Amino acid sequence: MHWKSPWLLSVLLLGGCASVQKERGHLEVAALVEERTGLNTRWNQGTPEDAQVRQHLDALLAGDLTSDHAVEVALLNNPALQGTYEELGVSQADMVQAGLLTNPSFDGSIGFPLTSDGGMEHEFSIVQSFVDIFTLPLRKRVANEQFLADTLRVAHEALVTTAEVRQTFTEVQARQQLVALRREVLQAADAAADLSGRLRAAGNVTALALATEQAALEQARLELAQDELALFEAREHLNRLMGLFGPRVQWTLAQKLPEVPAAEASLEHLETLAIRQRLDIDAARKQVSLLWNALELARSTRFFGRVDVGVHTHRDANGPRLLGPTLSLELPIFDQRQALIAKLEAQHRQGEDRLTELSVNARSEVRAARARLVTLRNMAERYQKVVLPLRTTILEESQRQYNAMQIGLPALLIARRDQVEAWRAYLETVRDYWMARADLERLVGGRLPVPTAPAPTPEPTSAPSPSPEPTHEHHEAH
Amino acid sequence: MSTMKPTDETPGPSEDTTSEVTDTTPALTRRTLLARTGATLATGALLMHGRAQAQSSVPGANAPRAGSAADTGGKVARQSHLPPGKAGRDYRPVVVPNGAKLPWKDVGGVKVFHMVAEEVEHEFAPGLKATCWGYNGHVHGPTIEVVEGDRVRFYVTNRLPASTTVHWHGILLPSGMDGVGGLNQKAIAPGETYRYEFTVRQSGTGMYHSHHDEMTQMALGMVGLFIIHPRRPVGPRVDRDFAIMLHEWRIDPGTRRPDPNEMTDFNVLTMNAKAFPGTEPLVVRKGERVRIRFGNLSAMDHHPIHLHGYQFRITETDGGRIPESAQWPETTVLVPTGSTRTIEFVADEPGDWAMHCHMTHHVMNQMGHDVPNMVGVKPQGLDAKVRPLLPGYMTMGQTGMGDMAGMHHMPMPANSIPMVGGKGPYDDITMGGMFTLLKVRDHLDGEGDPGWYTPPQGTQARPAQEDELRRDGIIV
Repeated sequence: MHWKSPWLLSVLLLGGCASVQKERGHLEVAALVEERTGLNTRWNQGTPEDAQVRQHLDALLAGDLTSDHAVEVALLNNPALQGTYEELGVSQADMVQAGLLTNPSFDGSIGFPLTSDGGMEHEFSIVQSFVDIFTLPLRKRVANEQFLADTLRVAHEALVTTAEVRQTFTEVQARQQLVALRREVLQAADAAADLSGRLRAAGNVTALALATEQAALEQARLELAQDELALFEAREHLNRLMGLFGPRVQWTLAQKLPEVPAAEASLEHLETLAIRQRLDIDAARKQVSLLWNALELARSTRFFGRVDVGVHTHRDANGPRLLGPTLSLELPIFDQRQALIAKLEAQHRQGEDRLTELSVNARSEVRAARARLVTLRNMAERYQKVVLPLRTTILEESQRQYNAMQIGLPALLIARRDQVEAWRAYLETVRDYWMARADLERLVGGRLPVPTAPAPTPEPTSAPSPSPEPTHEHHEAH
Repeated sequence: MSTMKPTDETPGPSEDTTSEVTDTTPALTRRTLLARTGATLATGALLMHGRAQAQSSVPGANAPRAGSAADTGGKVARQSHLPPGKAGRDYRPVVVPNGAKLPWKDVGGVKVFHMVAEEVEHEFAPGLKATCWGYNGHVHGPTIEVVEGDRVRFYVTNRLPASTTVHWHGILLPSGMDGVGGLNQKAIAPGETYRYEFTVRQSGTGMYHSHHDEMTQMALGMVGLFIIHPRRPVGPRVDRDFAIMLHEWRIDPGTRRPDPNEMTDFNVLTMNAKAFPGTEPLVVRKGERVRIRFGNLSAMDHHPIHLHGYQFRITETDGGRIPESAQWPETTVLVPTGSTRTIEFVADEPGDWAMHCHMTHHVMNQMGHDVPNMVGVKPQGLDAKVRPLLPGYMTMGQTGMGDMAGMHHMPMPANSIPMVGGKGPYDDITMGGMFTLLKVRDHLDGEGDPGWYTPPQGTQARPAQEDELRRDGIIV
């Protein structure tokens, strides 16, 4: 046997180099995610480094949770995401598989004479599929593209999770503040009912009036319970996204909802940006490309049957020892891969359609999300610049009317409650804005350009504090 | 103390034939004029021996009104008149606290006035101003002061955005001069000037006001007093003659215009368009005979005006002088809306005397009606509960409205005044609205406010001493 045939050796070496690198696919995902979010992600594979990750998780959860920390925790710890990372392992294994030559097959046979006149005969051959050698690069390319597509898809999943975490974080933030506001409504109802009780005790109001105020108080109490439940549910949603259980769910969140930026960064070309940088679109594009390559592969090997070449040694009992090449040729008479090609063609067209669909939808979704973002921003601004100052004015003037004994405490408390309700509506709008922003970031496949910092506007004395939380400081007696 | 003392020695009109008449009507004498204006006047005067004459003259009551179809004395209403009466000579001018008088000039023996109906920025009390409608820059319009027998000519210029008229309330005149828009004349359109002219054939207290879209125009202030002095003093001569117009308004705290749509809840009650503490006191020297004329053109309310410290007699209604025999001693005079009442008394007791409408809501300023009754409420802990929500909150009213007088430090609606509270010498006076003071002094330096009265030793309420309580067996 010519074991040292140089071409054969090189083929074998080529095949031998294709070993599985566990981290490889994830590194690319991590790079893609970091490029787009600036955050690290990790694939826990049961290594000693996992302990470090756990420590890091505890560190992230120790202080007051921020939006970035929550995303990081989710990227490190979301079980669904980790499962998705494993798909990369599968994909990478496929890729390595594609780079391996078919193993050569060794055949051997020995014949023993059944009669005494014969001698022992033996035959050995080693056969290697031949076409593999030529199609290997193409096959590797297809597998590589498949892997790349999978990487993109996984990174996209990570970004989708990121967006969902950001939205849920915003929801928790808003819910916390809404609960605080609802407590104020309860406090106002409590004060009104208290006054009513005192009025009744002094003999100045009817039992009807007292019962009405008490019913309003109970209503406020029930509404608070509902809001508290909504907060709990939002927290649990975030816990699921961050993959937390046990003592780790005790995290706290002190940060208030950030104000809506004074001006929106230019939202031009968002559609183009989405088409360019969205990973799922990129993955679909790669899918189309790999299907084309697979099709090419099928087409180029259309008339190739299986070609096996090898060496073959034979020795008859009484004959000379023979050594020679073998060739086995499959004749593509019946199966010319027409079915496979047709299937691949269809799949390729399907892939193209999917890419088109994805692109059209992405552009439309971006436009819709952008419209929503701009509308919510304008609404939040209207609330902040007009509605909330108006509510403050109404409360201040109500206090004056109260001081002049034109209205009583119940009317004054109603003005306060209406102010709180306006704050609630404002908070909900700000929350929706940041959620729409996270959605838009998901839709364009990366962070939006940071808007210009809001110019510090001079506050009129009666305007509410710029942070979206109720303030009391403006209602004092002057 | 308010007994009428005849001090007037002027002979009755029947004796007065010395002509002051410079008129071109040679046939007219004062006597004939008065005979026409009040048919029984001369006779009555004679019967009364020359004093308090002309007081029961009610036109048309005992004889046909001069100039009417039933009057056989003439074919038409006569417009002849006496020369313009002059202040000081023919009458002692009235004092209009916080008010003004309409100037006139003598043009050919006729008193000529010019009234301009216009928007006026008026201050009801310090801290409360509103855009009203009035005359010649005043709310209410300046007091017209004329003398019986005067020929008067009013030019009325309308500078309002709406048409208007002037009705001469209680004044006897030809129908065409009565000023009811649409009935007696076409309303004076914005920018137009109308002329009213008639001879004043009576004496007493009359009024004038818009008689076009009355609800709006009177609610915005278009009213005034029309004082007619008798050509010769009737009854005891008075030393002080005050004229006060009563009125009511709706001005919500924080607004700047009276609301003419209000039907019942009037919250600014005024004397000469001023609410206490914006009212000027009535200043009198001890011993002087005082006359106070009240006119009431409130939209809906009569006002029982109560004077402290004195009994008085109601000497005139808007129909004229009440015979002395019909005058009752009173301390409160009810002035019905659309009417005038005149009271007289001798100010023989010095002091600072309250004079006010006795409807308790009429001595409140801008009182609110949407306030729960807080009287008797125990507020302990309520402030602490409410203040986290409303840092400026303070429980009020649990002992009534009296505390309101001390609430000046709390932020109030712009352009509003406290419900009660003018400064007194000892504390805040827990009244507002239709409230003023009669200040009677032994000596006066000039015409102005003499300041607060100091009661002589032993004539003022003070805390009871323990030995007094013991002495009189009072256990507290």
